[in-house]
Amino acid sequence: MHEYTVVDELIGALVPRLCEHPGRVRAVVVRKGELRILSDHALVSAFEILARGTRLEGAELVVETVATVVSCAACGYRGSTGRLVEEGDHFSIPVLSCPRCGSEVRVDAGRELYVDHVTLSDDSPADG
Amino acid sequence: MHDVRFTGEDILARQLELAEANYRRLREKHVRAISVLGAIGSGKTTLVEQAIDRLQGRGLRVAAIAADSAGDDDHRRFIARGAKSVNVNTQDDCHLDAHRVDHALDELPLEDVDVLFIENVGNLICPADFPLGADAEVVVISVTEGDDMVRKHPKIFAQTDFVVVNKVDLAAAVGVDPKRIVGDYSAVNPHGKLFLTSLRRGEGLDELLNALGLGCTNTQW
Ligand SMILES: Nc1nc2c(ncn2[C@@H]2O[C@H](COP(=O)(O)OP(=O)(O)OP(=O)(O)O)[C@@H](O)[C@H]2O)c(=O)[nH]1
Ligand SMILES: [Mg+2]
Ligand SMILES: [Zn+2]
Ligand SMILES: [Zn+2]
Ligand SMILES: [Zn+2]
Repeated sequence: MHEYTVVDELIGALVPRLCEHPGRVRAVVVRKGELRILSDHALVSAFEILARGTRLEGAELVVETVATVVSCAACGYRGSTGRLVEEGDHFSIPVLSCPRCGSEVRVDAGRELYVDHVTLSDDSPADG
Repeated sequence: MHDVRFTGEDILARQLELAEANYRRLREKHVRAISVLGAIGSGKTTLVEQAIDRLQGRGLRVAAIAADSAGDDDHRRFIARGAKSVNVNTQDDCHLDAHRVDHALDELPLEDVDVLFIENVGNLICPADFPLGADAEVVVISVTEGDDMVRKHPKIFAQTDFVVVNKVDLAAAVGVDPKRIVGDYSAVNPHGKLFLTSLRRGEGLDELLNALGLGCTNTQW
């Protein structure tokens, strides 16, 4: 359940940065690379609990997924990867190998985890 | 309504910075660090114990960091082998993080260490998002967990370059075909290296150490 650790870091870093932005926080939009081993569901429920009593209480945590992008030093390819699709389509995961020449690749996107933006409404939190 | 946009700094940036600081610190002292993680009871401590024997036998100075939620059993096992060891209790945290490793490093005489093993808490899933600053990560699973471990956690194995499948001596008894695990792994990670081991019988460890650059043929040692 390290989603709690992640959300704890998120809230701790975000609240001070919102000081000069008055208004009620409606949504916190996080972008998460698909290679991260983090459950969206657990992130959302951790946020609900840990945001209580903070400026972020009642805001919705939205998790958007960032697709994997790789680049290959051997042939110059840059783009998406091949994917492994499990029977019954329970998941599809990127295979970290060059889809053009089969060499090892560098991951350029797919491991990030950051707050993209926060949506505020212009009423004050006290307005209900 | 209005949006406040951010610059995209990673939420775990602090963790990443600490891990990089550990990495640089270990580099400066010429310590080679290997992080060992994997499910509870898969054989992580046994692997480190045997690696300690092997490497010390060749004159290398080995240290370990033993992380457990509570207790100091693994730590004692490393000390008993003649390695320097630091015990880290993570208590309610299900994983070791770079900050705790930083504190553990303070307690080790890094000038007198060639190879450092960091044994994480028994937990396959969590540590993957928490880099520690090691040179290499080894994930240890065992056949007793079934032949579908890679299928259950494909994202983890897709990003793990060294995998040990231990307890192959029990494969027949538990009805597991290790070849299936090998096939699943090469499908999710075509460039990764997998080692079938029976640490109980002392089999497979040399191949792993070689791949990690810690074998007797690796000239830098
Ligand atoms: N049959 C068999 N048993 C093994 C093998 N390797 C380790 N074991 C046994 O498995 C048990 C667990 O081994 P450990 O090395 O303590 O496992 P661990 O992963 O460090 O366990 P935790 O730190 O508690 O997560 C011990 O009883 C070992 O003797 C093996 O290759 N074959
Ligand atoms: Mg152990
Ligand atoms: Zn290529
Ligand atoms: Zn954890
Ligand atoms: Zn501290």
